Amino acid sequence: MSLHARDKPAIQVIRPIALHTVVIVIGIFILLPILYGVLGGFKNNQQLSTNPIGLPSPWVPSNYTDVLGSGDFWLQVWNSSFIALATAFITVGVSALAAFVFARFAFRGREFLFTVFAAGLMFPFAVAILPLFILLRFFGILNNPLGVILPQAAFGLSLTIIILRQFFRSIPGEIEEAAILDGCTPFGFFWRILLPMAKPALATVSVLAIVGSWNNFFLPLVVFNDPGLWTLPVGVQQFQGQYSTDTAKVLAYVVLAMVPALAFYAVAERQLIGGLTTGSVKG
Amino acid sequence: MTIVLFLLPAIVLFALLVLAPIALATYSSVFKWNGFGLFPTNFIGLDNFTRLLGDEIFLGDLSRGLVLIVFSVLIQLPLALAIALLLNQRMRGRAVYRLIFFMPYVLSEVITAVLFTMILSPERGLANELLGLIGLEELESTFLSEPSTVMYSLFIVMTWKYFGFHMILYLAGRQSIPNELLEAAQIDGATTWKVFRHVTLPLMGPTIRITIFLSVIGTIQLFDMVYVLTGGGPVHASETMGVTMYEFGFKRFQVGYASAISVVMFLLSLVFAIGYQRFVMRRDTEGAITNMRGKR
Amino acid sequence: MSFTRRGVVTLAASALLLAGCGSGESEAPAASGSAAAAEEKVTVEWWHIQNIEPMAPVWDAMAKEYMAAHPNVTIKVTPLENEAFKAKMTTVAQSGESPDIYQTWGGGVLQQQADAGIAKDITADIAPWADTITPAAAAAYKLDGKTYGVPYDIGMVGFWYNKALFTKAGITAPPATWTEFIEDVKKLKAAGITPLSLAGKAKWPGHYYWAYLAMRVAGLDALKQAAASKSFENPDFITAGQKLKELSDLKPFQNGFLGANYDTPDGQAATMGNSKAAMELMGQWAPTVQKDTSKDLGEDLGFFPFPMVEGGKGSATDAFGGGGGFAVGADAPPAAVDFLKFILSPENHRKEIGTGAILPVIKGTEDAVSSRTGKMVAETLAQATDFQLYLDQAYPPAVGQQVNDSVAELIAGTKSPEEIVKAITETAQSE
Repeated sequence: MSLHARDKPAIQVIRPIALHTVVIVIGIFILLPILYGVLGGFKNNQQLSTNPIGLPSPWVPSNYTDVLGSGDFWLQVWNSSFIALATAFITVGVSALAAFVFARFAFRGREFLFTVFAAGLMFPFAVAILPLFILLRFFGILNNPLGVILPQAAFGLSLTIIILRQFFRSIPGEIEEAAILDGCTPFGFFWRILLPMAKPALATVSVLAIVGSWNNFFLPLVVFNDPGLWTLPVGVQQFQGQYSTDTAKVLAYVVLAMVPALAFYAVAERQLIGGLTTGSVKG
Repeated sequence: MTIVLFLLPAIVLFALLVLAPIALATYSSVFKWNGFGLFPTNFIGLDNFTRLLGDEIFLGDLSRGLVLIVFSVLIQLPLALAIALLLNQRMRGRAVYRLIFFMPYVLSEVITAVLFTMILSPERGLANELLGLIGLEELESTFLSEPSTVMYSLFIVMTWKYFGFHMILYLAGRQSIPNELLEAAQIDGATTWKVFRHVTLPLMGPTIRITIFLSVIGTIQLFDMVYVLTGGGPVHASETMGVTMYEFGFKRFQVGYASAISVVMFLLSLVFAIGYQRFVMRRDTEGAITNMRGKR
Repeated sequence: MSFTRRGVVTLAASALLLAGCGSGESEAPAASGSAAAAEEKVTVEWWHIQNIEPMAPVWDAMAKEYMAAHPNVTIKVTPLENEAFKAKMTTVAQSGESPDIYQTWGGGVLQQQADAGIAKDITADIAPWADTITPAAAAAYKLDGKTYGVPYDIGMVGFWYNKALFTKAGITAPPATWTEFIEDVKKLKAAGITPLSLAGKAKWPGHYYWAYLAMRVAGLDALKQAAASKSFENPDFITAGQKLKELSDLKPFQNGFLGANYDTPDGQAATMGNSKAAMELMGQWAPTVQKDTSKDLGEDLGFFPFPMVEGGKGSATDAFGGGGGFAVGADAPPAAVDFLKFILSPENHRKEIGTGAILPVIKGTEDAVSSRTGKMVAETLAQATDFQLYLDQAYPPAVGQQVNDSVAELIAGTKSPEEIVKAITETAQSE
C-alpha cells in the first residue's frame, strides 16, 4: 500500500482511467454476445428472425417469467447444483490428496503414475461413455445422481491433479521443514498448512469442476431416464422439438441457467483474492 | 504408507471409471463392430487403423488440428494472460469485471453455438451489421458458412468461449507470486514492462507451461464446440478428430472405427505429453520440491 | 493390478453409503424388471420424441388414461429431443438393453437393432389389428417379412412454394418436369428472388434432392437393388447427380446456405417463412416450422410434388418421405404392445391427427386431417404409386450418412457426380 503513495500524482489519476477504459473496451467485446442472448430472450421467435439485431419490440417478458414460474426449472437448478457441488467436493478432495503426494514425495514410478492420471484428459469422453454405461449398470447406479457424480469426479481427477500438483510445488520447502520440526505429520502439514495456503488454487479447481459439471449434457442424458432427475442442460430440450426449436425460450432458459453457476464463481472468487494474505507467509 | 493411503481413493476412482472404460474402448478398436451387444465382435486386427491412413477427412483433421493448436498457443493464451494481469490490478469493481470476463466459460457450448450462428449470419448478422456501421464493410464476411472463412470464425468463437479457463488459472498463478517481490522491483525503478518481463513472467512460468499443455491436449480433443457450431462443415472444412469420431460412433454405428480414431487421438496426446514433460516441464519437477522421504 | 478387486468392493460399498445420503429427491427403481409374476405390477418404459406441444400433452394424457384402465401397469414416459434421443439410444443399446417402447423410423437402423436382438419381432402380437394400418405406412417397419414396429405418422417430401413470389417472377403454374423446374429457377433468379432455401449444415435436407432425382431417373427398384448389391455404380445415379449439379451451378440457394441450419431464426424454414426464398424441398412438417420460426405464409404457401424427369424410369407419382413409429424392446412386457394398440385405436389416432402434427396411418381416419397444408400432403400421398423411405433411414446408418455427406459435397461443388457414387459404394461395401 505504501508503494502507491510514492507514485507520481499525474500517473495516479491517469492510470486508473486508462485501466478502466481498456478493461471496458475488452469487456464489451466479451459481453456483447451474451447481451445479445439476454435481449433475444425478450423477443419471440418471429422477432428473432425478422429483427435479429434491433431491440425487442414489443418486449416479451413471458419467456423469462414462464421459465421462472415453472417447477421443472427450479427442480433442475437443484439437481444441477447438487450434482455440481458433490462432483467438485469429491474431485477436489480426492485430487488434493493425490496431488500432495505427487508434488512433495519422491518414489519410484511417480512420473509414470502421474502420466497415467494425465491420460484421463487424452481420451475422448464420447467413446469412453459406451463402456462406462455398462459399468454404471453393473454398479446399479443408473438413474441415480451417483451415476453422474462419480464418473464426473473420476474424469475430473486428471485436470485437477495436474493443476494442484503445480501449486503445491510452489510452496517453499522451508515451510514444510519448519512444520516437520514442529512435529507435524505429513497429513498434519497437508491439512493445516498446505491446504489453507493453496486456497486460490483450490478455489480455481473447484470452479472448473463446478462449471464442467454444470454444462455436462451427455452423461446426465444417458444416465437419467426419470425427467425428475434431469439437470439444466438436459432440461433445455423441452423447447427443442423434432423439427423446430423455440429459440427465444431456449435463450431465456440458458441465460437464467447461467446465474447460479456465476454465483458459485463469485463465491470462489473471494477465495481467489483471500489467498493473497496467506500467500505471503514467506515474508 | 502415506503415499499409498493418499493415492488410494484417486487410484480406485480413476481405475474403475476412467481406465476401465478406456481399456474397453481401446479393445474395440481392433473390431469391425456396430456397437450393439455387450462385447465387440468381428475381429479385424489393425484394419481400422490402416483405413484411417487412407481417410482423407481424417488426414484433414490432423492438419486442421495443428492449425488450431498453433493459433491457441500463440493467440489465445497470451490474450488470456494479458487479461488476467489486467484484472489483477487494483481497481474499483475488479470482482465485477472478473465475473463478466468469466461469463463465456460458464455459458454452455450449445447456446454459444446458437448465439454465434445468429451473430455471424451472413444475412443481417450482428457482426456484419456492426462492421458496416463503423465503416469496415470490406471486413464483412461469410464467417461460418464458407469453407474459406470457417476456421478463422471458429477460432474467434473458441477464443471467446475458452479464454476464461486459462484466465482463472493465470489469476491463481499470479496470486502465488508474493507482491513484495514485484513491489521491490518497482521501487528499484524498473518499468512496468521490465517488471513483467523479468519478474512476473518467469515466476508464472510453471502456470504458463501447464496452460500450454492443457491447451494443446484440449485442442486435440476439441469436439463439443465444433460439433454444435459448424458440425465440422461446410463440407468438412472445420472438422476435427473428435467430430469425425462422433460421426462414426454415433451416426454411422461403426464403433470399432470410431474407437480407432480415439486411440489415435490418445496416442498423439500421449506422445506430446511425454515429450512435453521430458523437455519442458522438467525444470518444474526439479528444484522447488522437498523430498519428505529423503529428509527422514 | 492387485488393487482392482478390492477397488470394486470399496467403490460399491461407498456407492451404497452415498446412495443412502444422496437420494432424498428420488428413489427410482433402476430398470423395468419385466414382471415374473404376470398379473403383478408391470412397468413400461416409453421413450418418445414428441417432447413439445402439441403432441407431448396428448401422449401424456393417453398414458394416464391407459394406466387408469389398467391399474397394474405403470407407464414411465421419457420425452426426448430428436438428437438427444439418438445419442441416448445408441449408448443404451450397446449394453444390450432397450426401453420397452421407443421411437423408430424403420429401415436400416431398426434392422440393426433387430439383428442385435434389441427390437422385438411383434408380427404375431399385432396380428389381430395389423390390417388397420395403411400398408404404405407400415412398410418401413417390416423387415424380411417380420414386423418390428408400428407407425404413428406418415408423410412425404415435396416442394413448398411461395405463390406470391412465383407470380412476381411471372410463373403461372408449378413446374411438372425438371426442365420446367430449371426454367422457373432461372426466372426467379432473373427477378431477383432467391429460388431455393436450403439448410446446408444439417445435410439431411440436401439429400432429398439427390434421392428424388435418383427415384425419378433410375426408379425405386434401382435404389433397393443398389442397397442389396452394395453397389451404386449405376449410370442413372450419376445422371441424377448431374441433374443436381446442373441445379446447384445456377447458385439457386440463399446466401450462406452452406452454414445454415434448418430450424434456427436464420435457417431454412425461417428464410422461407420470411419470403426470402421461393421454394424449399421439405416434408409435411414444413408449414409448422415456418410458422414457429418466422411467419405463417398462409394462403400464399403451396405444395407441388417433385417434378418428373424426362426419359426417367421413375413415375412422377412415386413418393419419398417417412414418418415415425414405435418399436418394442426385446424384454418388454405384453402390456407394451397392448398400449401401442391403445394409442393407435381409430378414436385415439383421430385425437393425434387433430393436433395437426401427425398424418393418418390408420385406415378410415383420413377425414380427421383439418389443416389445408396437411390435406395437400395427405391427398398427394393417397395417390402415390410407390413409396421410398428417406435414404438416411432406409439404408444401414453408415450408408445413409454417407449419402447425406456426399450429396452435401456435390451441392457445395467439391465432389463430382461420379465421385459421390463411388464414395457411397465404398461405404456400402465397408459395411
